Amino acid sequence: MNYLKIINEILILAGISGVLSTLIVVAKAILQNYGDCEIDINGKRKVTVKGGSSLLTSLAEESIFVPSACGGRGSCGACKCTVIEGGGPILPTEKPFFTAKELAENNRLACQVKVKNNIKIEIPEEIFNIRKFKSKVAKIEDYTYDIKGLTFDLISPSEIDFKAGQYVQLRSPKYAKVRESVTRAYSISSKPSLKNQLQLIIRRVPEGICTSWVHDFLKEGQDVEITGPYGDFFIRDTKADIIFVAGGSGKAPIKSMLEDLAEKGCDRKMSYFFGARTTKDLYLTEYIESFSKVFPDFTYYPVLSHAEPEENWQGKTGFVMPYFPEAIRDPKNTEAYLCGSPGMIAAVTKGLKDLGVPEDKIYYDSFA
Amino acid sequence: MKLSPNDKIIQDKMKPGILTADGFLGTDKRNFRDIIAEDMKVTSTFERSLEDISRRMEYLMEKSFLSYDSSIVVDGKYEVEYNSYRGVLLSPFPKAGRFGKATIKVTNMKNHFSVMWTPLHVHFIRDYGFFEGKGSKFRIEPEILYKAIFD
Repeated sequence: MNYLKIINEILILAGISGVLSTLIVVAKAILQNYGDCEIDINGKRKVTVKGGSSLLTSLAEESIFVPSACGGRGSCGACKCTVIEGGGPILPTEKPFFTAKELAENNRLACQVKVKNNIKIEIPEEIFNIRKFKSKVAKIEDYTYDIKGLTFDLISPSEIDFKAGQYVQLRSPKYAKVRESVTRAYSISSKPSLKNQLQLIIRRVPEGICTSWVHDFLKEGQDVEITGPYGDFFIRDTKADIIFVAGGSGKAPIKSMLEDLAEKGCDRKMSYFFGARTTKDLYLTEYIESFSKVFPDFTYYPVLSHAEPEENWQGKTGFVMPYFPEAIRDPKNTEAYLCGSPGMIAAVTKGLKDLGVPEDKIYYDSFA
Repeated sequence: MKLSPNDKIIQDKMKPGILTADGFLGTDKRNFRDIIAEDMKVTSTFERSLEDISRRMEYLMEKSFLSYDSSIVVDGKYEVEYNSYRGVLLSPFPKAGRFGKATIKVTNMKNHFSVMWTPLHVHFIRDYGFFEGKGSKFRIEPEILYKAIFD
């Protein structure tokens, strides 16, 4: 008898739980059904999306790819846009990414704004040039023990338009223990005129989800999703002298810039400093040095900070900064293009400013 | 220790492949609350607080940040090697913000104790007393950290 009573009570409880769960699902469907929402972009283009997703996702579904280096987690701050109307209150997750002025100008992170009603936004026009590409890995080369060069054939669309110095985002799939697909930004190392291929240079990051996939799992012939181009790191069209400074995989956008300038012709004075620890960290050295035969005034300075005696390194040693004075003839008329780790960017920026290079002429990737 | 629903979310984020390739728990079978509780038994014997420890870690990081991803000697006693990478890391704990990707290796030149951490660990230690699970690539043994940065 007691057993029957227990079973009966369990069934009643299960029934109540079932009804409550159904009610929650129904309520969610009704309350969170925002219907169709219109996104007005720059007052020029309107798209209709199903409400409920983030602005970033909703735009991506319309093939409008706002930059996002973290895949919409609210951690990179790359998806900044102006929301003029309908974005709701700013979230605590967004505030750290903006100055008071930017907040007053209605800047928001597209990944944190949920589309619940009609919304008016402003985004840079260049974003309309960003595409999602299906690509295939054509070639993987080992440049150093922790840096690989990758060449991708673009399948669909089959061509890309970009400025030398810009970057793309690579999507790594679920693999091994990794349960989520992630998106990470990498500078393009190939020249813009090579429209049906893209080359990237990728350094392994300890514990990095995407770089571990690239270094340990990605094979030639494999399909890869790429979006881009992104970024405003490109050579300014002036007559000023140029100083390039790179470290590690930061050689990628500089290589693209040099190849582009070589095709277009350039008579500006150019000095290129590449900082590395030992000779094991050097790569593409002869190739970069060969630009001295292409340009009238180009010098490449590889500098090693930790060269061992047995390496028999005859070149420059220490940090790159002490060698800047021999390359900079007029600091006020010098533009600097930097690409590398945040530590390198910080140290080099300080060194250049100390020498009198104007801060507004020091350019580097914003996604570092 | 039993995990609350919010703790279970944190525990899930600490698993491999969510925020980092190998996660924060290593081969440790304990949940993160038990790992913290066990490590607190050790850190409670220290003469300095978790705030003191994290402030010291920050001090060494700040001193070495402008070293152009190289090693420098701080205060004549600590060899600090700072290697930074592009990108940011998220904490598995809520509302913690974002942290630069970097490794900081400190060797105490006097007693030769050596430790490595990332900017994320300063937050882990200051706010939660979390040193990662045993077997994790970035697990910090509290006693070694203490000896490396204070002795």
